[in-house]
Amino acid sequence: MFYIFISILAGVSVVISRIINSNLAKIIGIFQSTFFNYVIGLFFSLIFLLISKEILQIPGIKFHSIPLWAYLGGFVGVLVIVLSSYITPKISAFYLTLLIFIGQLFLGIIIDFFTFNKLSLAKIIGGFLVLVGLTYNLILDKKQETS
Amino acid sequence: MNNLLSAFIGALIAIMIMINGTLSNAFGNYTSTVVIHIIGLLSVIFVLLISKSKFKIVKGTPVYLYSAGAIGVFTVLFNNLSFSQLGVSITLALGLLGQSVSSIIIDNFGLMGMKVIKFEKRKFIGLIFIILGILIMTTL
Repeated sequence: MFYIFISILAGVSVVISRIINSNLAKIIGIFQSTFFNYVIGLFFSLIFLLISKEILQIPGIKFHSIPLWAYLGGFVGVLVIVLSSYITPKISAFYLTLLIFIGQLFLGIIIDFFTFNKLSLAKIIGGFLVLVGLTYNLILDKKQETS
Repeated sequence: MNNLLSAFIGALIAIMIMINGTLSNAFGNYTSTVVIHIIGLLSVIFVLLISKSKFKIVKGTPVYLYSAGAIGVFTVLFNNLSFSQLGVSITLALGLLGQSVSSIIIDNFGLMGMKVIKFEKRKFIGLIFIILGILIMTTL
């Protein structure tokens, strides 16, 4: 239950930071605002690390057992921002949002298939229903915008 | 091509959750969040250099506009925590529910300087589908 709550909050934080950052991007530019995003983010994540007990465990980390690709998450995050800023003027917001949802859920299910080593029919059916719900509300948004 | 690229962006987000979650399982959540932000910062500096972007100082920019990065730390921490227990697809589905509900609330009240878009009751139908889907994903 705790993890369900935390995941929903992750989604809430995405919306809030996206609104704030897009307002900053309008003034100073998208890559510049992303730069400040990461500077401030690094500052706060360092503070969290310093006040956590985790900092004491850093000397014990077996760095050689961690694959190189595991370090690339920050790079992928920036790639998402660059690609999004490139595609946004070329496609309607409706299709962009919908296709991003589809890509996320589809690949999420594939990754889970490889991690848990079994194809979960429940995740495919559930993921499809989530997509139906998201699409329905997106269509309502689109209608409201055009009316 | 544009459609494919858009779906690819979504796929990258799923890959990112998996990569960051893997790092978090190896390093611990707080240490990995620092690493993720360092790599992200280096990447965006690279993008700024190749796009020859210039920084301009705009007077009167409210300070709170710079707070997105602080909120983003929670996004990473929460996603990493959740990945270790729920995997990628459920983490993402729940995140999308959180995005839908918070967008609806922000729009309805016109919070954070957004224009007011009143809540339509029909949107409950969409939300019910999303919640039903998540229930099936998590319990079956």
